[in-house]
Amino acid sequence: MKRKLATVTAVALASALALAACSSGSGTTTGTGASTDGKGKTITLWLAGADTPDVLRTYLKDEFKKETGGTLNIQQQDWGDLVTKLTTSLPDANNTPDVTEMGNTQSPTFTNVGAFLDISDMYKQLGGTNLLQSFVDAGKVGDKNYTLPYYFGSRYMFIRKDIWATAGVAVPTTLDEFNSAVATIGAKNPAGVANFSGFYLGGQDWRDGISWIFANGGDIATVKNGKWTASLDSANSLKGLEQLQAIYKTASKAPNDAKDSNQYIYLNDDDAIPGATTADAATPVSLAAATIMAPGWAHWSIGTKGEKDGKVTRTWDDKTFGVFALPGVDGKPAPVFAGGSNIGISAKSKNPGLAKTLLTIIFSKTYQEMLGKNGLGPANSQYVSSLGSDEFAKALIASASNSKLTPAAPGWASVEASNVLEEFFSKIKDAPDLAALAKEYDAKITPMLNAK
Amino acid sequence: MSVDTARAITVSELSTQPDARVTERRRRPSFTPYFLIIPSVAILVIAMGYPLVWQIVTSTQHFGLAQQFGQPAPFVWFDNYIKLAADPYMWTVILRSLAFCFVTAAVTMALGTLVALLMNVVNRVIRIVIQISLLLAWAMPVVAAMTVWNWLFDWRRGVVNWILTSIGLPFQDHNWLQDPISFFFVAMIIVVWMSVPFVAFSVYAGLTQVSGEVLEAAQMDGATASQRFFAIIVPIIRPVLGIVLLLQVIWDLRVFTQIKLLQDAGSIASETNLLGTYIYQLGTGSSDFGMASAVSIFVLVLTVAISAFYVRNMLKEDES
Repeated sequence: MKRKLATVTAVALASALALAACSSGSGTTTGTGASTDGKGKTITLWLAGADTPDVLRTYLKDEFKKETGGTLNIQQQDWGDLVTKLTTSLPDANNTPDVTEMGNTQSPTFTNVGAFLDISDMYKQLGGTNLLQSFVDAGKVGDKNYTLPYYFGSRYMFIRKDIWATAGVAVPTTLDEFNSAVATIGAKNPAGVANFSGFYLGGQDWRDGISWIFANGGDIATVKNGKWTASLDSANSLKGLEQLQAIYKTASKAPNDAKDSNQYIYLNDDDAIPGATTADAATPVSLAAATIMAPGWAHWSIGTKGEKDGKVTRTWDDKTFGVFALPGVDGKPAPVFAGGSNIGISAKSKNPGLAKTLLTIIFSKTYQEMLGKNGLGPANSQYVSSLGSDEFAKALIASASNSKLTPAAPGWASVEASNVLEEFFSKIKDAPDLAALAKEYDAKITPMLNAK
Repeated sequence: MSVDTARAITVSELSTQPDARVTERRRRPSFTPYFLIIPSVAILVIAMGYPLVWQIVTSTQHFGLAQQFGQPAPFVWFDNYIKLAADPYMWTVILRSLAFCFVTAAVTMALGTLVALLMNVVNRVIRIVIQISLLLAWAMPVVAAMTVWNWLFDWRRGVVNWILTSIGLPFQDHNWLQDPISFFFVAMIIVVWMSVPFVAFSVYAGLTQVSGEVLEAAQMDGATASQRFFAIIVPIIRPVLGIVLLLQVIWDLRVFTQIKLLQDAGSIASETNLLGTYIYQLGTGSSDFGMASAVSIFVLVLTVAISAFYVRNMLKEDES
């Protein structure tokens, strides 16, 4: 009996292996020529997160079908494990997405190891110098283009106007004013909520916190003769770190392990806890901060609570909530961490011709303007006006005008993946000697930046 | 079982040695099992051997992202291991993992055995209720369970903080995951919660082997409950306890999902890394597959070292 079972299992497994071998062999016959005739063919596009709305996805599929007769298969990947998935799939011709979106800061890591197809020949056709240049640079190796900007986003401030008004502070025009305003709100605690933050900044939230380093002229790393050196201990970076330490100590009551996710729940009243306010109407449960910093799309999650089809909805209310771009030292918008994505064709794609056709659709006027209408900054600066002129568009354009990218170092994705910056930021609050702390982490980051 | 059959054949072969014809007839079918076993062995070799060999080879190479994309991987031989041995952080992680795995396994064993003893004495209805609740905890997908646990221990709205605050303890907005010690305390509760059912069921099955007469006799001789437990029950179910403890130690040493998901919820990763998450961070995180493989090999050696003692003991007991 036992032996029989073992044999059956063995045969089943063996045939499974044999079948798998067959299926992996059959796919290799498709041509690699730059043909745009896609009848009966399918190409795969990876989009990261839910940032690209469904309307845009449907448009891409329909348009691709119209132009090539082929099928576009869109797969959504989580931001969290995108690097992992790209690392394992891009080198594998049978599993690679033909076209993929990636965070602009993740692009250098992959372009430097040759994961993407050289699309320099299409650069002019897709927009050329009208494309967002800092993103174009992130996708360049030498003078060749491998990835191009997909959309840009930016981080700006969301505030509770009512609490700011009760605390008697005005909307700041410089960084110093901002720093003291949030400290005042934190000290006054006008809402009377326990552990109330004038400005909620998570201890590990380096993507927002880095703005203070940038605003004071500091940087994460600098490059000289192709060698990257972390520069958290430069005089200007240290100025920013001191301001951050003050914010962590006086304005923010966020836990020191909090990251940049869902900060908006601390800005809303009664965040979807049934009965929380009826039991104790004086202290709405979720309100815990007067200010947060978040990517522009967070405004969809901020507002007065309502309900539709059993789901909690948020309606933006201009009387209670407000937005502005973080002011810099000189009163102009502070350089913040530029959000956004690049897009590229896998070097192992079996249908580079079709993939190129997809890129022309993405960089077409129609699609670029669709991006803008949905609050995503279009890659082509000619179409930025499609963002509209509401306060969110204004704050987005203002904060993006001076935004900065993370270092385009070959090992940058490793720095992000190793959580070393999260760790560094979590230690700022209680550091007795910021310069020593910065030096300690520079020593950790520098070798990672240059690793290939 | 199979050993016995083999022995029997040898004996019968010996006894029929003079008759060559008979021997040959008997020997011929004995190739069939070997032939039939080829696919299984092949699959074992491919499925388990290949990754192991790949890992050993990679651990002696410099294997980063460029190698993943097809560059040749230069051999650095034992460099990765030397770097690891010289890195104090590696030793911190190892000691942390060992401490976590032994404490967690011990707590799991104690609780599991207590639950098994409880099941042994309560009536059928209550026992079935206990068994069903144990099975539910056991069958719960880890990710789903972790989501719930993360909510329970949420710093701002967790039920745990709410309960502690409402009985008057200063736990408002207490962040459990921030401090490594309390992080591991929470992690231990979760891991124990998930592994107690397995221990309880195994030990309960073991307890059915303890005959009622022996216990009754001991009781009549005046043995107390704890004497009966330690002097009679434990020796009888020792093989079960041994193998279950071994499995717990191995599982807890390699714990990954729970720690990773807790880290995603909070805590500073470098202060809460165990071997599993450290390997993940090195390998898939930093694309340093060479180093990650070296740590994995080290964990393999560690596991074998810890379990060798038990395995030898078990083999001895099997023979006797």
